[in-house]
Amino acid sequence: MSRFTTAVVATICLSTLAGAARVAAHHSIQAQFDINKSFTIAGNVAKVEWINPHSYLTLNVKDADGKVAKWAFEMGAAGQLRRTGLSRADRGGLKAGDAVTIKALAARDGSNSGLLQEITTADGRVFKLRPDGTEEK
Amino acid sequence: MTSRIIVAAGALWLCSSVLLAQEAPQRLRTTNAPPKPSGVTPRTADGHPDLSGVWNGLGDNLNGVPNQIVNNGIAIESETSARDLKSGLTVAVFPRNTTRVLNEEQAERAASLLRRSGSNRPVYKPEYWEMVKNFDHNSNEEDPSNNCMPAGIPRGGIPSYIGQFPNYVIFIYPGQGGLIATQTMYRMIPTDGRKHTPLQELDGTYTGEGIGHWEGDTLVVDSWGFTPNTWFDQIGGYAHGENMHVVERFRREGNTLTWTATVEDPDFLLEPWTTTPRVALLNARADAVLPESLPCSERDLSHIVTKEHH
Repeated sequence: MSRFTTAVVATICLSTLAGAARVAAHHSIQAQFDINKSFTIAGNVAKVEWINPHSYLTLNVKDADGKVAKWAFEMGAAGQLRRTGLSRADRGGLKAGDAVTIKALAARDGSNSGLLQEITTADGRVFKLRPDGTEEK
Repeated sequence: MTSRIIVAAGALWLCSSVLLAQEAPQRLRTTNAPPKPSGVTPRTADGHPDLSGVWNGLGDNLNGVPNQIVNNGIAIESETSARDLKSGLTVAVFPRNTTRVLNEEQAERAASLLRRSGSNRPVYKPEYWEMVKNFDHNSNEEDPSNNCMPAGIPRGGIPSYIGQFPNYVIFIYPGQGGLIATQTMYRMIPTDGRKHTPLQELDGTYTGEGIGHWEGDTLVVDSWGFTPNTWFDQIGGYAHGENMHVVERFRREGNTLTWTATVEDPDFLLEPWTTTPRVALLNARADAVLPESLPCSERDLSHIVTKEHH
């Protein structure tokens, strides 16, 4: 079985298997987002879609000239959104038109997108969807 | 080849809070020891074990633990030890670091390496080694299922729902948003003694033509007639041809269901390959139902800028 001995170099921190705050992903997080670069942006909710493999929030963002650009933010799974407190709009969730400020990890391809970390609503409520990406390496 | 694949391993951390989890009881597990059976094994009127039920009792469809989500067989025995089931070798793990958590990059790469360290791997004909390696290395682009297509068989693993009737069984595999993003599959598998359609008369499909029979208390599902547009394990780039033949075995003991699949491919493989057994746990709720699976719409892969992957 010596040809299999390379297997023993495999490593993992099993604490991650508990998976408490991590988002499921069918893709590598770091292949798409810069885990060390957060940004904040304000706009109005265009739509929230609870879908696989990741739910998405689309945001209408006005620039200085009043022109609206769409930004797309990856979120977690439906269960995570519920635990965070997002649900039906009449139970405290978001609805189209709501003014929000979003903190997210930046997309590495420079597109108008990000991995959503935190939503702050106009009435001051904060939904934290994931730890901020700046923890020490 | 094993070492090359491991070296080529990209990374994707997956801790599936999603998936088949849906409304099943949530349990966070730090080992992937198969659940021990308890309770009696119910039987149908014709005397066979009754496999009917919602088989998502582990709550999270196994929490992304490698032994269960891929078939190469790593048993995580404790927070500091893991074992390759085929070779029996101990697999090194980082001691749990309680002073700070891993960042995303570290966690992804560690999980990917462990996921790929199992030695239970199919043996391809040499002329396909480069192809498989290339598929694996470039799986962000090459994976035929990760963009919300069906996983196929046996990549779909254990169905989350089984309905057993006198002459057929129904399997449902809800679409997932976990290690790979897939759409829902279902199978209606006759167990009435019929024979397969000749292979050459079948158009290849994602679940193939499955026909079941009982061998003692084991339900054996024999399938062929597959599209070549699937891989037969979650990772590894394990492509196959249109002559693939899959034999799955389902055995219920109490509240557990043990599944294996044997893949024969006379065109691609030198020998049949059998998955490491997986064990599912019955949803303990008597009123359990399988919830709707969210629709799958893939929006990320076009923004990927590196080859890191699961």
